[in-house]
Amino acid sequence: MTVERSAHDTSVVYRPQEPSLLQRLLPWVLGVAALVGLYFLVQALRAPLADVRPSSSILRVENGWVTFLLFLLGVVGLLLLTSLIGTAWGRRVTGRKIRYSAVLGDQLTHLFIWLVIVAAIYPLLFVLLASFDPRNSLYQFFLPTEGNVFVRSGVIPNFANSSLENYQKLIDGVTIPAWQLVVLGVGAVALIAILVLALLTRTVGGGDEKAYERPRTWATRIMLAALALVVIFLRPEQFTGQGNESKFILSIRNTMLVSGLTGLMGILLSTTAGYAMARLRFPGRFQTLLFFIFVQMFPVFLALVAIKYLLFALGLDNTFTGLILAYSGGAIAFNTWIYKGYVESLPESLEEAALVDGATRWQSFWRVVLPLSGSILVFMFLNQFIGTYAEFIVSSRVLTGVENWTVGVMLQSFTEGQFSTKWGVFAAAAVVGALPIVALFYGFQRYFVSGAVAGGVKE
Amino acid sequence: MTIPLRSAKPPQGGSGFAIAVVVLLVLVGVSGLLAWGVSSLLAAQFPTLPAWTLLLLVIVALVPGMFVVARAFPWITNWYYLLPAIVVLAAFTVFPIVYTVNFAFTNYSGINSGFPDTSYKTTVALSQDRRTVTFSEVPGDVSSIEQLLGCAQGGGSCRGRPIALYDEEGINPVTYTVQSVQGRAVTLTAPVAAAFVATDATRVNTYGYVALAQFQRIFARASAALWPVFGWTVIFAASTIVINAVAGLVLGILLNNKRLKFRNFYRTLLFLPWAIPTVISIPMWGALLNQQFGIVNKTLGLLGAVPIPWLNDALWIKMAILLVNLWLGFPYMMTATIAALSTIPDELYEAADIDGASRLQQIRSITLPLLRGAFTPILLSGFAFNFNNFGIVYLLTPTPPTIEGRESTASAADILLSWGYRVAFSANGGQDFGLASAIAVIIGILTIGISVINFRAAGVFKEARR
Repeated sequence: MTVERSAHDTSVVYRPQEPSLLQRLLPWVLGVAALVGLYFLVQALRAPLADVRPSSSILRVENGWVTFLLFLLGVVGLLLLTSLIGTAWGRRVTGRKIRYSAVLGDQLTHLFIWLVIVAAIYPLLFVLLASFDPRNSLYQFFLPTEGNVFVRSGVIPNFANSSLENYQKLIDGVTIPAWQLVVLGVGAVALIAILVLALLTRTVGGGDEKAYERPRTWATRIMLAALALVVIFLRPEQFTGQGNESKFILSIRNTMLVSGLTGLMGILLSTTAGYAMARLRFPGRFQTLLFFIFVQMFPVFLALVAIKYLLFALGLDNTFTGLILAYSGGAIAFNTWIYKGYVESLPESLEEAALVDGATRWQSFWRVVLPLSGSILVFMFLNQFIGTYAEFIVSSRVLTGVENWTVGVMLQSFTEGQFSTKWGVFAAAAVVGALPIVALFYGFQRYFVSGAVAGGVKE
Repeated sequence: MTIPLRSAKPPQGGSGFAIAVVVLLVLVGVSGLLAWGVSSLLAAQFPTLPAWTLLLLVIVALVPGMFVVARAFPWITNWYYLLPAIVVLAAFTVFPIVYTVNFAFTNYSGINSGFPDTSYKTTVALSQDRRTVTFSEVPGDVSSIEQLLGCAQGGGSCRGRPIALYDEEGINPVTYTVQSVQGRAVTLTAPVAAAFVATDATRVNTYGYVALAQFQRIFARASAALWPVFGWTVIFAASTIVINAVAGLVLGILLNNKRLKFRNFYRTLLFLPWAIPTVISIPMWGALLNQQFGIVNKTLGLLGAVPIPWLNDALWIKMAILLVNLWLGFPYMMTATIAALSTIPDELYEAADIDGASRLQQIRSITLPLLRGAFTPILLSGFAFNFNNFGIVYLLTPTPPTIEGRESTASAADILLSWGYRVAFSANGGQDFGLASAIAVIIGILTIGISVINFRAAGVFKEARR
């Protein structure tokens, strides 16, 4: 127990303590140990490189790193100069004292972050570009013979043969009736409206979130309704093409159906439990919560035989219902924990007022707490949706047959087999498959940031 | 002392908890039995009815049952808030776990699967009283009928062992129980059904309880699988979280600089690896890291490096896994850093500025100490997450390099979870579910142990008790 002390209590005086010799030595000991470890690691990593022969598909520039370092040094030199100009100009314009080191520091930060961005984002850009190249250019056997050194090495893809062939393979033989096209069109218009309204909020509305709230809510609702309609009514019969890749859109639909329903199940099963954990007091409550959490520590993949047996016994093997039920168990602990935390953050006086007015416990949950929980329910749903979208092991074991596959299973089928790998199609499918989730992430960014950090858990 | 069962206030203490559990068990059990009875009646009437009607019937029986029980024990309504979660968890999580833990003590596998073994199928003749089947011959690769039936090892008695009989079509075997074996004649405990014309018979590869033999197998060959895999699991989980945290801290601190222009733009761009589903981005990296054709080696080639065997060498694949996991994980760490930094009041830095502290000194003496509180739970839960980070290992390459002297299911890249998965489901694992279940039990115990430490440090127990 901590004893509460008033601010003027002088009985506790801060006495700086000299760190002991051991404490002062510790960072040095650790540092030396890390360096020695690193040395041996580098030696071990160099050993297998000794008998690696240069490859015909890789252009090797002898001492290319020297050129790169010189280039970096040149850029830094340029920044030294521009910072000097920037400092002088800033002093003149603002009339305040601006430190040269601060300006230079910011410029070097920009340079560093751009290097990180290039390293982190260029692979994605490369896959995006490769998806437009019909010749499996993720795996290029022959290097181009002309162009600058980046083109000749294959680091920049060759645009000469760009086409939509890979994407066409994904929609080969797909038939869409007119009404679905109309619904899709409505959804697309709603999406554009959302984007325009978001832009208007930033510019005309001056960043005020409330400015266009009503039309934005409606546009979002229309878009989600259109999407749900298409996802529910898209049939396997509409996909008549040959080969797995022509059914990729179907697998996206399957995944969305499964993920969406799993997200809803997660909310349905966990909100009441989370509320009870936060507000009701009865023996066994704490133990039940721990039971929820610990029971999910068991690796589910290794219980697949049992899950498969259970679904088979219930006649739900190879059905989406079975898969959703198998996923739902895994959604409960995290959602309950998050919702419990949220309810605890609400002021208890709201419910007390309702209870005094004669509401039952259930009514105070249903009428008072639940309507206030919009944002956390959105986070719970999205988190579950995205987690389920990326799942592939359980679904690959429960669902059989191309027409039932989810995105993960379908992508695996493109990359399996060393000689029949369809990298061009894989690149196109990766782009199409990732788009909905990237859009969700950026659309609901603030929910993720607050939710993920508050939970301290990444699903 | 009487326990006030009929009041609205729940009975207190451990006995109160026990009473609640008993009442709930009775409620769910009675509803389940009722539903089962009705569904078997229905199934007799409508044979086409799917098996999952049972689930619907359970719900139908449960709802009125809940009202009746709430009449008798008003305090039980507290538990009704938890009931949906408890029922689904019991059916789809607890049941599979119990079933799997049970497998850990058996020799259940692709061979010992409980199905008849058609490779020993032999022609038989049935006696007049339909209780004795006589084998026409003893096949070449076994020496006796006892051995054919798979009961030669355990003392040689075949009493109680199953035997599968086939009719001429040979599609649907019927299983009977053996009473005794004399030479080539096998006597059954019950006569064969009148309509069944038995022409062939074979053994049933049952699985049986082997006590701790699966665990003994794991620990007997621990140096060839368990220890190296466990070692890499711990090193991977610890080092990946440290690397990611350092990268996230550096970027987060740099981007928290309020003078920096475009910092929101940078943040949005660097967010991207987090937004892409791992099931897409990890195989993508598998292609990019290919030794001959991958963009990574092409870029390094421009800098003068030889083609690096990222996915083909036992040590380099570990580097590849750490590198890809850094790419996947740094945006989360960066975001967490920025969120935690926003809680540090600016006055601290202003005061430090006045005292003449440099930016580096400020980071060392203000930022890092204040971030420790926010980062401890993130680091610990990250360790627990990566301890079972199956996707990064399994999706990066379909053919990870193997190490001489290791079991074929435990490749250089495998962590405990992927090793267990390969034992159970991959081609070279022989579908050894018994062994995989034993591995699962070990992983479960380790994960719970890690989580207990984790929760203790993060104060979860205290928060849950509140």
